[in-house]
Amino acid sequence: MSVNGDVLIKVEGLKKSFGGFHALDGITEEIRKGEVVVIVGPSGSGKSTFLRSLNLLEVPTEGHIYFEGVDITDKKTDLDKHRQKMGMVFQHFNLFPHKTILDNITLAPIKLLGMTKEEAEKKAMDLLKRVGLQDKADSYPSRLSGGQKQRIAIVRSLAMDPDVMLFDEPTSALDPEMVGEVLELMKQLAKDGMTMVVVTHEMGFAKEVASRVLFVDEGKVKEQNTPEEFFSNPKDPRLKEFLSKIL
Amino acid sequence: MLQNLQDSFYVNFIKENRWQYLTDGLKVTLIVTFFAVIVGIVFGTLIAIIRSTHDKTGKLTILDILARIYITVIRGTPVVVQLMIIYFVIFASSDIDKTVVAVLAFGMNSSAYVAEIVRSGIMSVDSGQFEAGRSLGFNYIQTMRYIILPQALKNILPALGNEFIVLLKETSVSGYIALQDLTKGGDIIRSRTFDAFMPLFAVALIYLVLVLIFTKLVNMLERRMRNSER
Repeated sequence: MSVNGDVLIKVEGLKKSFGGFHALDGITEEIRKGEVVVIVGPSGSGKSTFLRSLNLLEVPTEGHIYFEGVDITDKKTDLDKHRQKMGMVFQHFNLFPHKTILDNITLAPIKLLGMTKEEAEKKAMDLLKRVGLQDKADSYPSRLSGGQKQRIAIVRSLAMDPDVMLFDEPTSALDPEMVGEVLELMKQLAKDGMTMVVVTHEMGFAKEVASRVLFVDEGKVKEQNTPEEFFSNPKDPRLKEFLSKIL
Repeated sequence: MLQNLQDSFYVNFIKENRWQYLTDGLKVTLIVTFFAVIVGIVFGTLIAIIRSTHDKTGKLTILDILARIYITVIRGTPVVVQLMIIYFVIFASSDIDKTVVAVLAFGMNSSAYVAEIVRSGIMSVDSGQFEAGRSLGFNYIQTMRYIILPQALKNILPALGNEFIVLLKETSVSGYIALQDLTKGGDIIRSRTFDAFMPLFAVALIYLVLVLIFTKLVNMLERRMRNSER
């Protein structure tokens, strides 16, 4: 894994408050090309808010986010253009229920990248084959299991050829027997060199796949390390407490 | 008794081709309703988008205030008064077609109700759908168009169908500006024959049949849209 790649996302002094509550309390961080950064932390710690700030689904109160060298927190930046390069996978999948699986995947490439229908569908079918769901192309999302929905959601993002994939608790809404198939696909992506930022409670995934693990608590990155060090030799008292509860 | 009915039917509808008052009136009613529905949908959707954009993003404050005033005034006054104001005040000095005035009046009136229906439909779509659209790189308008509105429409179809049934029946006050719609047509027959029963019940029956047909159409459309998600 190339941990020495170029900086893809640079976060500077990121703050976000809702009313008087500081969800993010000054985070400065870099995500490099090819890295798989896993973010863990107790609920309400700000880890999801941090992830959602990276593509500005949450608009930061303070601070800057640079994506591929461009300050996307700058109002003058064409944010939509940059979001096309940042895939996002949600806890609740958010597939479009009124469209078939194939249309879910091809909508953005056709409308935003100017692909022809044929090109987009060919690409979608290739991706569907990769995840073994090509027979679902003409189904509607309501016909799919949670695990299948999430794999489709990942494919939908991949169809845009993103430079980074953001995962917001991708397995938290799944029945236990379906968690594996989604994690398997994510491991595959990591192996193929995709830059990934993953908020998850799956410590096994963090240990096995992450190039770096961040512990977010009270809106700050309290500790970060390689997975080996992170889990075997935690230093922050809050992290020790957190790990003792979940491991 | 039967002979009486037959005579009455003859006098009211057959004699001097009086049935034509009903068919001509029906034509006007259908034309006014059809175009008023279109005005209502277009204008109502526009207002709904302004209102829900303001609710979601805090932008468009001035347009939102205007939209809210518009909805309050339109919903707060009787449609027949609005109709007369448009005809006798706004277009008082111009030689405008009464049908156009009726389309404008009923369309604008309907748009205020449609706006609130569509807005509720937009709000009923899960916010995750919006985020999914934006995160793929769609801008606000594209997300609305490709992702939110199609789902909103499905949710509001029954309410929308209901609104258009109300609209169809509301056009019966067109006679106030001397537009000869279906109701006015029946009324003219009554004034000729001095018989209230036959023309009024005929008019009522025609409205009822129209509403039944329309209800059926909406139900079919609804079922088709539901099926398309399976």
